Amino acid sequence: MQPHDDAIKAPSPTVQSPPMAASPVMPGRAMAGPQKPRPGASSMLLTTTHDPLSQSEFALPVRTNSASRRPQSASLFRSTLLSNATPPGSPRSASPASTIRSARSPARALTGSIFAGTAGFRASLLDTGAGENPGDPLNLILKSFVPHVAIHASQDVDELVNLKGFQKGLWELLRPFGERVTGKVNVRDSNGVSKSWEDFSVRFSKFGDRSNISIDTGLGVTSPILDKGEAAGSMDEFRVRQVEQVVERHLSFAEEAYRGTVEPQTPTRAGLDIEATSPYYALYLRRLLSGMPLASHESFTHPVACVIAISSRNPNPIEALHRLYSETTDGDKRYPVWVDGDYLRYYVLVHDEENSDITKSMALFEQMKRNFGLHCHLLRLRSSESAETDDDSIPLPRSDWMTAAEELADIEESDTREDFEDPTRHIFESDATAIRTFVREMVTQSIIPTMERNIAVWNDQVASRRRGISGRFMSLSKRFTFGGSSRSSTTSSSSNYDMAGFYRPESPEAIMRRLADFAFMLRDWKLAMSTYDLLRSDFQNDKAWRYHAAANEMAALALLIMPQSMSSKTRIETINTLLENAFYSYQTRCNSVYGSTRCIILALELLRLRGGSGIDEAVRWGIRVLESRLMGNIGDALLKERMAICYASKTGAGSQLWGSRRRKSALWSVLGAEAWMSQHKYIQAQKCLNEARKMYSLLPGECGVQNFAVASDFLAYLNAQAKEGLQVDLIQFEEDDEGEGHVDEENEMFEGADNGNSERRPRKTSLINPIGGSTTGLGLETAPLQGQGRDETAGPKQDGFG
Amino acid sequence: MSYYFAIIGTQDNPLFEYEFGTSKQGGDGQPRFTEQARHLNQFILHSSLDIVEEVQWTNGQLYLKVLDKFFNNYISCFMTGSGAKFLLLHQPTAGPGSGGSAAAASGLGGASSSISASASASSSSSSSRNSTSIGANPTSPQTEEAIKNFFAEVYENYTKAIMSPFYKVNMEIRSPVFRQRVAAAGRKYL
Repeated sequence: MQPHDDAIKAPSPTVQSPPMAASPVMPGRAMAGPQKPRPGASSMLLTTTHDPLSQSEFALPVRTNSASRRPQSASLFRSTLLSNATPPGSPRSASPASTIRSARSPARALTGSIFAGTAGFRASLLDTGAGENPGDPLNLILKSFVPHVAIHASQDVDELVNLKGFQKGLWELLRPFGERVTGKVNVRDSNGVSKSWEDFSVRFSKFGDRSNISIDTGLGVTSPILDKGEAAGSMDEFRVRQVEQVVERHLSFAEEAYRGTVEPQTPTRAGLDIEATSPYYALYLRRLLSGMPLASHESFTHPVACVIAISSRNPNPIEALHRLYSETTDGDKRYPVWVDGDYLRYYVLVHDEENSDITKSMALFEQMKRNFGLHCHLLRLRSSESAETDDDSIPLPRSDWMTAAEELADIEESDTREDFEDPTRHIFESDATAIRTFVREMVTQSIIPTMERNIAVWNDQVASRRRGISGRFMSLSKRFTFGGSSRSSTTSSSSNYDMAGFYRPESPEAIMRRLADFAFMLRDWKLAMSTYDLLRSDFQNDKAWRYHAAANEMAALALLIMPQSMSSKTRIETINTLLENAFYSYQTRCNSVYGSTRCIILALELLRLRGGSGIDEAVRWGIRVLESRLMGNIGDALLKERMAICYASKTGAGSQLWGSRRRKSALWSVLGAEAWMSQHKYIQAQKCLNEARKMYSLLPGECGVQNFAVASDFLAYLNAQAKEGLQVDLIQFEEDDEGEGHVDEENEMFEGADNGNSERRPRKTSLINPIGGSTTGLGLETAPLQGQGRDETAGPKQDGFG
Repeated sequence: MSYYFAIIGTQDNPLFEYEFGTSKQGGDGQPRFTEQARHLNQFILHSSLDIVEEVQWTNGQLYLKVLDKFFNNYISCFMTGSGAKFLLLHQPTAGPGSGGSAAAASGLGGASSSISASASASSSSSSSRNSTSIGANPTSPQTEEAIKNFFAEVYENYTKAIMSPFYKVNMEIRSPVFRQRVAAAGRKYL
């Protein structure tokens, strides 16, 4: 079977044994708990009896990390399922830590604070195998900066696809197939060396969909959500907040699901998984990256090609194609002016297998080829809807890369509507094969060659002229023109930077940016890096700050991924400068929350993968993000958890493991636990605490902060809180379906505690003690409480783990 | 400006802890840590032992200067011959700098320009500190010298204290005299 088949079918086996594979949160949890037939929690159970209606797909999107799902619903969560599916014990060549660990000599590691880990830099990150796992940040980065293909289908195609059950048209049907192009894809880099990639992907977007257009560049682009009058920053921030909301929904669902169980041990035993990315963090990253706005300052989201599709039902096919084509060049729906209109058009004839005559279609297809050249494809689809019970039906997974807004909309719909229908669709095997062939053919025979040709042409005509001596002179002379005219007037006249705040697509800067982006998408890091590097200074001279930030960001990312012979010290310094520029421009000059968050988070992940001193740098940047308060509560907590993992993946040398960062890692785990606790995410908090305990127990003295009175008190307090929180959840679930009142009360307590100065004391609830005996693996080796400064409410609970 | 000073034994166990505030620029010598910061200080101090263990092999001096920074908290270290470490956590502003809720004021990293810029910015907002004071710029030579003197004096007293025939390795130092002398050194230099 082709790899892609596996990918698509992956959910089903996973689902057969959902608790083990699907949910690292609560592995192996039996679903025997008291279960209300409430909509939100309904389909979690396979065993309990309840209203069959409520088993509908419902709150599925929130259910990613729940214990068990119905098979259909699980297919929706292929993304998160896959990222969790690998059991922790499986051989994981993708483990970044181990790869780098082995590559580094002990002597190097000793000098860690002075930028150790040189060997880690010698190879490209891709060669280390760090990006093979779907949940891995590097993989996410590779999969997010991919060619975008717009889909513009005629009315009759959409009708045909609607019959198959896809309301949003051809785009919805094709989207999952773009996420992994079947087979190897050969890409030739600028030196003519060909390299093949197994995991190439493209992103299908809907032509004319303006929901993700960034409004920062103005020019008649109105956002559907915010008025144009709103600052660009708020729209930007809105994106990041949405991502957090999605993760929040997933998290609260996990908490909610947890209440339905009586086996609290299982989740609480697990620590953070250092090798695999936490599903929530992966989700956060993915949603952050999938929401990349269509903006003028980077061309990743600009279409590389546009699929123009008609169906065999169309009475005037050739005419329709011409009309669709002209709509892509000058209609209401065309892209903003800063998008280069000269992208590839790919013509598709969708043949209706059931109602149309194939000979006619073939004839029409021949005609199309004569009219439009070679970029044509005949796609044969059946027009009827495939049911789950059909022999040859396969479930079509939902797109991994749906945006946060889409997912939120789904969740909200499932919350509010009783008759929320199953979003999983099934298609015929033959259709799937046809589409896979189509996508592969389009990518390998049209899109990639076109991109390669564009790269060659642009590199030749624009970029290489700039690289030479004369090119430098040109840009100099452009800047300092002779004559008495004032400097400002000359710059404005000679600069290609438009007054409206963007470069025209035909200007050399815009072309070079596209060149660099294309190279990045085709993974020619070296060309990408050198081009971004050229652009940086140009944009700086033009004071095009958004462009400047983006060029710096991408230069840093490319530099981090590619192999280089530079010493790691200079290299880290270079990267730091680039990141510093990017961060400052995004954050201060452009007020772009999305940009700065993406930039730093991605750089942080790549630095972490580089190991050695890169890890210290990664954490330094993480602290920077925390300090500038870019993210909301969820993002903060996720990041703290991530810092812990960063430090944990730094390994030391020798028997004493000098140079490791276990104490640091534990500290961040504790901080993470505190952050989760204040949001009532007890499962996550418990995981962080377990991780901290594990780290402390690995220390030479094995006592951690035990001897520090106040700190160990605090740790004990956190442990107690987590235990209580998890138990209260249980009780609460039995007593009160919603538990809202209680949560509010908790909230106040935490707010108080967070503002400092207030006394840290366990909250008084009557629910503290009752479920005794269930040793939740808590507070095992926390220090003996010193008893100071704790009041009587602490008393009964200390017994729990004393 | 508040200080948290601890002597850490070989098993990550604190032998001696003392919190105090600055006595320069009219400071009253009282620590200004928030309740939340107090446990965090211990966590931070403990976590910087990772860095100490690494730096001690590459640095020939006993005084390792500022070797770690966590948000707005700076850690200075002094090694002793027996493997016990003197760690001093200093917080430049009396502000909210604690853990995750640290104010966004300070720039990170070794770039001293950004630090001094942020320090002067924060000091202008806080009451009576000025940017030339010892505390305001933790990586300035004056501050490092002052901390060095403090450590040297404490080291002398520490050596005398553990000469006590009843003292064993890694035992907590409870001597009130020692505490007084540390306090005096703190008043004198910081």
